[in-house]
Amino acid sequence: MRLSLGLFSLLFFAFLYAPLVVIIVYSFNSNPVNMLVWDGFTLDWYKGLFGIGERYLDPNQRVIYLESTPQLIAALKNSLTVAAVTTSFSTVVGTATALAVARSRFRGRGFCGGAMFLPMMMPDIVLGIGLLVFFSTIGMQLSLVTIIIGQCTFLTSYVFIVVQARLAGLDPRLEEASADLGASEWVTFRKVTLPQLAPGILGGGLLAFIISMDDLVITYFISGAGSQTLPIFVFSMVRRGVKPEISAIATLIILASVIVAATGLWLRARGERR
Amino acid sequence: MSDLLTITGARRAFVTPEGRAVPALDGIDLAVHDGEFVTLLGPSGCGKTTLLRAIAGLEAIDAGTIMLEGRDLTRLPAHRRPVNTVFQSYALFPHMTVARNVGYAMEVRGLPRAEREAQVADALAKVGLEGMATRKPSQLSGGQQQRVALARAIVAKPRLLLLDEPLSALDRNLRQAMQIELKDLQHRLGITFVFVTHDQDEALTMSDRIVVMRSGRVVQAGTPREIFRRPATRFVAEFIGETNLLSGTVEGGAAGPILRTSGGLSLRIPPGTPPGARATAVLRPTDFTLGAEGIAGTVTRAVYRGADLHLSVAPEGGGPTLGAIARDNALAPQRGARVTLGYDPAAIHIMEGEG
Amino acid sequence: MSPRERARIVVLLAPATLFLGVFFLGPLVIIAVYSLLTPGLYGGVEWTFYHWNFGRIFGWADGIMEVFQPVYLRILLRSLSFGLLTVLVCLTLCYPVAFWIARLPQRWRMLFLFLITLPFFASLIVRLYAWLLILKPSGPLGMAFTALGMEPPELLYSPAAVILGMVYIFIPFMFLPLFAAVDNLDRALVEASADLGATPFQTFRKIIVPQTLPGIAGGSVIVFIPAVGNFIVPDILGGANGLMIGNLVEQQFLSSRNWPFGSALAMVIMGVVLVVLVTFTSRAAKAGAVR
Ligand SMILES: Nc1ncnc2c1ncn2[C@@H]1O[C@H](COP(=O)(O)OP(=O)(O)OP(=O)(O)O)[C@@H](O)[C@H]1O
Ligand SMILES: [Mg+2]
Repeated sequence: MRLSLGLFSLLFFAFLYAPLVVIIVYSFNSNPVNMLVWDGFTLDWYKGLFGIGERYLDPNQRVIYLESTPQLIAALKNSLTVAAVTTSFSTVVGTATALAVARSRFRGRGFCGGAMFLPMMMPDIVLGIGLLVFFSTIGMQLSLVTIIIGQCTFLTSYVFIVVQARLAGLDPRLEEASADLGASEWVTFRKVTLPQLAPGILGGGLLAFIISMDDLVITYFISGAGSQTLPIFVFSMVRRGVKPEISAIATLIILASVIVAATGLWLRARGERR
Repeated sequence: MSDLLTITGARRAFVTPEGRAVPALDGIDLAVHDGEFVTLLGPSGCGKTTLLRAIAGLEAIDAGTIMLEGRDLTRLPAHRRPVNTVFQSYALFPHMTVARNVGYAMEVRGLPRAEREAQVADALAKVGLEGMATRKPSQLSGGQQQRVALARAIVAKPRLLLLDEPLSALDRNLRQAMQIELKDLQHRLGITFVFVTHDQDEALTMSDRIVVMRSGRVVQAGTPREIFRRPATRFVAEFIGETNLLSGTVEGGAAGPILRTSGGLSLRIPPGTPPGARATAVLRPTDFTLGAEGIAGTVTRAVYRGADLHLSVAPEGGGPTLGAIARDNALAPQRGARVTLGYDPAAIHIMEGEG
Repeated sequence: MSPRERARIVVLLAPATLFLGVFFLGPLVIIAVYSLLTPGLYGGVEWTFYHWNFGRIFGWADGIMEVFQPVYLRILLRSLSFGLLTVLVCLTLCYPVAFWIARLPQRWRMLFLFLITLPFFASLIVRLYAWLLILKPSGPLGMAFTALGMEPPELLYSPAAVILGMVYIFIPFMFLPLFAAVDNLDRALVEASADLGATPFQTFRKIIVPQTLPGIAGGSVIVFIPAVGNFIVPDILGGANGLMIGNLVEQQFLSSRNWPFGSALAMVIMGVVLVVLVTFTSRAAKAGAVR
């Protein structure tokens, strides 16, 4: 019984990781005709991404579109800009809301908490087209700004949930003790609540950053001509067909997100141990 | 009486996270007679729960055999053993009503509903829980939950009922009431009970036989009186109730042998121990008669315990402080008072060596 | 409540309320309104009431301006069944693994939990692209079939591919709530059940499943909701037979430019989601009241 469970779990993890391994392996395959037939090791597709490979200059080779390097860089820059702004905004607003809901008693508190789950539970496509119709109705041009606004709706909700979970785990008696020792509300918040809450806020922010960098569906509907983000860039490449360069970009994205996620989880684990 | 359960050479070791093997059962031999109330008694961590779980089939043993009515159970999974358990935490199924909990053993055997209901009602009546059938376990008090667990375990009429500290979560009064009820129930049902406790009073009150365990082994098995009066070792003597243990050398005397302790105290002991041998005498505080001729000493401490006073007496000639009991009345000795502790040499139990 | 406290609550709540009130509720209200407006001839809308958007989906239409086509209903039903299948497959995959991980020593548990969440952070589109590679006839699976002397089956652009892709991306959603429930399962209950004579299968059915039901339900809901309205997975892995209602919505907005009809379809998705959510939360509340 135990053994078969273990075997099943092994297959399960193989299922989880095999696809990622496949991408990474193929990204180093030098076969230009059929990228799925192994031919030899190469870094050409990575070089091609940044416009430094020889194949990049040879129009007869299977190379991605000539304009793609600048586009890729622009998309990455857009993604980072959006993620930076949305992360800051949603972290502040989400944390404020969590503080209000978790630490004060007022009528409609339960409703507030429940309502904050909605943006997260709303299917992406509904929110995406809703935002599209909304922006066009109020006459707002699609741009990075609309992407930022759109993403903030659900990112705020993610941060709220993470921070609120952390707040619920905090001992309110510590705050009472601080007040009892003569600290004002503000001092108590700064010296007692905030330090304990920090891992939660950090975790929520990190989650928001990762999700923002990865958001496809909502951004897809509200990004304008000049405001492609990285996932959308990759999506449109994938839609046009399989190319070895996509594997190279994908590998880099996997690497970056794994590093960010691992750091985040490690920070959280460390925060919990303390 | 025939043996219902026979355990021979049962061993079980657990591996600690550091990789060290800890023996929880270290060669257990045990026989339980049909219809008996046997109590496993021992300090925390001595392997009582492990032994019980091994009998129930919830824990495999590394070596040894477990036989029930001559049938080898050792490799049988828990659900095929005619043994039921009352768990320490009760382990009532929270999503089922009391009635379904109690009827569970019959439900999984596929008994028809009508038959089940009759037996459930019967079992609930036996434990005094009529009218609680439709409640959920969370809507019951601790004592009521305990009764449900009991009813659930006896309803299938197991050959053997295992109880792991079933009373430990109850308050003192309820616990004493339940001790008597359990014992009555066992009589009425005629089921053999193996009961785990680390409360020696509970063990003495309830059992036909007590099995004292220590670090995965059986140290002594016997009737409560045997265990109390004739402990096999110093460990048993000290574990069961307050006791005075006096070690010394036996000397011959005109009126019978005498035990002389290193402190200089001499004690008349029953005949049978050869002079010159090292021996340890076991004397319960209740064995002393205050004021009668015997050991003279000074009261160094008197602790009020309700009906009586527990005295610590330093013998005049030196030697270890002795425990004695006095009725709490106007004549009761106070701290500093001189007293004499009379005793009957025949009541003294002698263990060889240091015990 | 002191005025000070009241002021604090207002300050803390105002940003989220205002922002979400405008940019979250606003869009939802607007598509609700749009779904009841007349589509303009060349895209755009006319501001007159119109219920044939829904009629086109559910079976009433004038037959001139709008025609009822059962294909929409079929795609809706297909989306529901794809969502359901995704949930079932996720559940079957995650349940045993949750038990396995729950029994591991603490250190190993953390590692494997981490390994399950990690792919979630590797971009969605990248993970789907991986399956595009794997399922291609010339991909590793196809090659394995060829090597065995068999004709590689049509894996890509099929309903199976869509479900596979959704299972792959939603596994962490199912796993985490399920694991929480499995990890909370009191082992004494399982032992008590065996002790009372239940076979392992009976114990599973009568004790383990009911006891982990909150996790099963929670995981199912949060997988079903994004699955049913998904359009990326069918877009990349599904062919004509893998089309889902999300793809219809996307088409209406980005190619057909029939926004009112697209909004009506989106309202249908939202309706499904709301029904699922409300059923789940009211059940959960009821179960909570009994416990
Ligand atoms: N699952 C386990 N893994 C590792 N060690 C165990 C396990 N179960 C029991 N042990 C160890 O085996 C020994 C016996 O444990 P057991 O639970 O049988 O003691 P006990 O006599 O019932 O104690 P208590 O009176 O505290 O209930 C202890 O040292 C305990 O730490
Ligand atoms: Mg125990």
